[in-house]
Amino acid sequence: MKTSKYIYQFSTVQILLLLGLSQSAISQPIPFYKTTVTSNADEIKVDNGLTLREAIALINGELKLENLSSAERSQVTPASQSSTIGFNLPSGQTQIALNSELPSITIPGTTIDGTTQPGYDATKSATQEISIAIPVVELIPAANVDVLRGLTIVSDRVTIRGLSIHGFSAAHKSTAMTPPADIFISHATPPPSIEKQKMPANFAPYYPDDIPPKNIIIENNWLGISPIGKTDRPSAFGVSVFQGENTTIRRNRIEFHDGSAIITSVAATNTDVSENIIVNNGLAGMPDAIRLEGNIDRSRIHGNLMCGNDGAGVYLFKPNGSVKISDNQIRYNGRRLRRAAIYLTGSGHEVIDNQISHQSGSGVVVGAYPQSDRNIIANNRFDTLEGMSIDLNTQENTYAQAWQTGDGPNPKHKGSYRHLETGNAAIDSPEFTTDEFTNANVITGTAEPNSQIALYKVQLNTEDDRGPLSQPIGQVMADAEGKFTAQLTGLGKGDRISATATDPTKGTSEPAINAAIGTWKDVKTTRNPTAIPACTTPPNPPIITPQPVLPIKLKAPTRIHFALDQDFISPVSATILNRIATVLNQYPGVSIELEGHTDPRANNDYNQALGMRRATNARTYLLRQGISASRMILRSLGETKRIAKGNSKIDYARDRRVEIIYRDSDGFELTVEESDLQLE
Amino acid sequence: MVSVNSMQSPFWLGGLLVMSICGISLPAVAQSTSTIIPNTATAEFNSPGKPPKSISSNTVKIPVQGGTAALEIIKIGDRASIEPGDAISYRLQIRNTGTATITDLSIKDTLPLGFKFLAKSPVGAIANAAGTPITTPSPITATVSGSVITFKYPELQPQQSLIIAYAALTSPDAVRGTGRNSAIAFGLSPSGSVNSNIASHRVLVQAGIVSDCGTLIGRVFEDRNFDGEQQPGEPGIPNAVVILEDGNRVMTDADGLYSLPFVLAGYHTGTLDLTSLPGYTLAPNLYRIDKNSTSRSVRLEPSGMARMNFAVTPTYREGVR
Repeated sequence: MKTSKYIYQFSTVQILLLLGLSQSAISQPIPFYKTTVTSNADEIKVDNGLTLREAIALINGELKLENLSSAERSQVTPASQSSTIGFNLPSGQTQIALNSELPSITIPGTTIDGTTQPGYDATKSATQEISIAIPVVELIPAANVDVLRGLTIVSDRVTIRGLSIHGFSAAHKSTAMTPPADIFISHATPPPSIEKQKMPANFAPYYPDDIPPKNIIIENNWLGISPIGKTDRPSAFGVSVFQGENTTIRRNRIEFHDGSAIITSVAATNTDVSENIIVNNGLAGMPDAIRLEGNIDRSRIHGNLMCGNDGAGVYLFKPNGSVKISDNQIRYNGRRLRRAAIYLTGSGHEVIDNQISHQSGSGVVVGAYPQSDRNIIANNRFDTLEGMSIDLNTQENTYAQAWQTGDGPNPKHKGSYRHLETGNAAIDSPEFTTDEFTNANVITGTAEPNSQIALYKVQLNTEDDRGPLSQPIGQVMADAEGKFTAQLTGLGKGDRISATATDPTKGTSEPAINAAIGTWKDVKTTRNPTAIPACTTPPNPPIITPQPVLPIKLKAPTRIHFALDQDFISPVSATILNRIATVLNQYPGVSIELEGHTDPRANNDYNQALGMRRATNARTYLLRQGISASRMILRSLGETKRIAKGNSKIDYARDRRVEIIYRDSDGFELTVEESDLQLE
Repeated sequence: MVSVNSMQSPFWLGGLLVMSICGISLPAVAQSTSTIIPNTATAEFNSPGKPPKSISSNTVKIPVQGGTAALEIIKIGDRASIEPGDAISYRLQIRNTGTATITDLSIKDTLPLGFKFLAKSPVGAIANAAGTPITTPSPITATVSGSVITFKYPELQPQQSLIIAYAALTSPDAVRGTGRNSAIAFGLSPSGSVNSNIASHRVLVQAGIVSDCGTLIGRVFEDRNFDGEQQPGEPGIPNAVVILEDGNRVMTDADGLYSLPFVLAGYHTGTLDLTSLPGYTLAPNLYRIDKNSTSRSVRLEPSGMARMNFAVTPTYREGVR
């Protein structure tokens, strides 16, 4: 009985298969077109201009050529290999405001090319760091309309080039609206559609025939910002590679997203993320600039600038496969949440030649769980961190902080017993023979046998006892007993050195305890030249008036106040924030810390969160005034630091505040006069 | 578990008395009846030439105190608490504190509900006044009638003790009983029947594996297909906090799993504390409307297990729903 049922089912499947094959065999292939968008309207209508929506529908085969007007048809020519969408929008009408999501791009090989728009100048860039041309065509949601995604790509070999896409987000309704993105890459019917997955698979998130599209190129776009570099409506995520293979994301500016700039989900193998400017992202959600999850094997992240983001630069959360992170500049991140610049979980990753500085957390953290080893961290330059340059989580340290900034220096393991569940197989950091070498000609020490020792110069003005690994200055091999001897050049009395050990079967160690050349008395405490805490520089930067000799005597307000249990900025507070913005614009070398405080009523956790909301809203206001996120760090102290002692209404009013603490970029505090106190 | 096979050690007996938790021992004196023995004397004498003459004295009543017998009984168990399925061993010490021999000794021991006597377990010994075992009697005979066990022993000399050890097994029914059992000894003495005090021992019966407390389990994970179930490729979220209706706070492990044992049966509500998960919000469930709630309500059956899973997804709006 049972057997016959199976046979019956089997034959049904066969019939269906045959039907499907025969259907596709007889249906006409969808022709390729070269189209030019001439109208910035967002409707499918017989009129004089071809809209983007019409062009996509036509290429997808959802709209027939016959249904277009002759004027529209004149913008369409048949093509032989693939379809393209170009732009020739009238001047001043280059903003395409969408009333709803555009149809997914379903035809392989389609190109949407904003560089064809007249006025596009490929040679002109708004940034010195990485040259990315300024787009002309702008894709935004219509006013008062929530649109979840800008472009949704579900087919192979699609190219999106030279567009400004921003504002795509949606208020949560009865449930969270997700997954959103400026550019969303997925299999054919992505969520929230479940028309294909009537019954979810139980072995994987999606069925094997939900095939990820391949070889998609996203280049020269500005995501999250308009062509003048601003937005009033932050987008949710930049590029979401929900499912996609061999995706290339290169030379994009990805800024002002509430979530991550680039996020992967189910499968994003062989993704290449290069030369992007990723600034000020993670403002209200997933804080990391690049968040890699799912299968990300053979992905590469290189040559990017990640700056002023709220969390990590690159965070690998329990991914499959290994990635290479190289030649990136990762600085001023961790603004809202203290996180490592690069957080690794998993094995076989490479972190090479990056510059990591001004992070409110560690440099590179290797998680203890899931088992993470063979992670090579070499030739990076670390500077001004609030943590270790390299931190391997040890002994199953999986508490919340270990998942953010690491767990600090590891104990040395004893004998052949390695600590379980430690990042990079618990490789020990090297130890110098002495903490004071008379000169740099003979540097000796011990490390794990046969490991590669990389020696680093330590930055001048640090108080850390391990690193930061500021400048790679040499490499030697440890012998079979673990001893090494190095001869270094270019070091003088008062310099400090540190080192890491790398064993290809284990990975790279934490930094060694610093040793001085000469004696510790010689160690120089001179400060690094003041770095301006900015992420990008315009091509012809305004000449900055030289900074006055420290300490600057600033006349700037240091507090704004809030109403009971509220986190919004009152009009009076807004004028104070305007004055703060003026000061910050005047002194580009000054950065601030925004500390949220509450009155002592309500419970601690609630007040902690309320303080954070107050600080975040104050920052949001300043961001809109054009202050770079890289200059603002957020903290919440909740009710722990009251300013008033009593419990009258006026005392509570004074407690409900955000304090602004001015620092120059090296953390040197400035003298500040408190100007006013605003009571609610 | 204390071994009850050996009766040789006086230390053990000492320990036995110390361990006596609920055993109350009060010497019971058997009702002695005094016997009156009337005593008369007769004198005969011969006078010359006269017939012999006898003379009786007056009757002197002398009460005679015969040998008395008295029984005392002590009962202890080897543990103070027990779970269903465990064995408990009891020890009875029956002592003849009188001066007369007691015959036809029988001890009635009433077990609590759910305790099953192990028929092969009883062993006995006779100890002298000093507590030193002197003989090992022939196997103690025990008859069981319901929850009452009756041990029989033929004869107990004055100042001797009979020590009986036996074991009982607890069944799940024991949780409904009191855990208290009692023992009493009877016997015959020359002056009549004697019975002892009632000794009792109470053991705390804990539910153990038949506890009706349930277990709450669950997971917090990143849902990538929005079905509310964790498939391979959907990682668990570490250090997520789930708060129950009574304020209990449970944190997930590195795999995103949590469990909470010893939860009283009934309805329970849990909610995910999203402030413990920066960057995440509750994932919509596209398949089941009820799973879109921020909290889960479960009905936990006695000794049952209930699940509260929370699916989350990376978000762009923290703390906003």
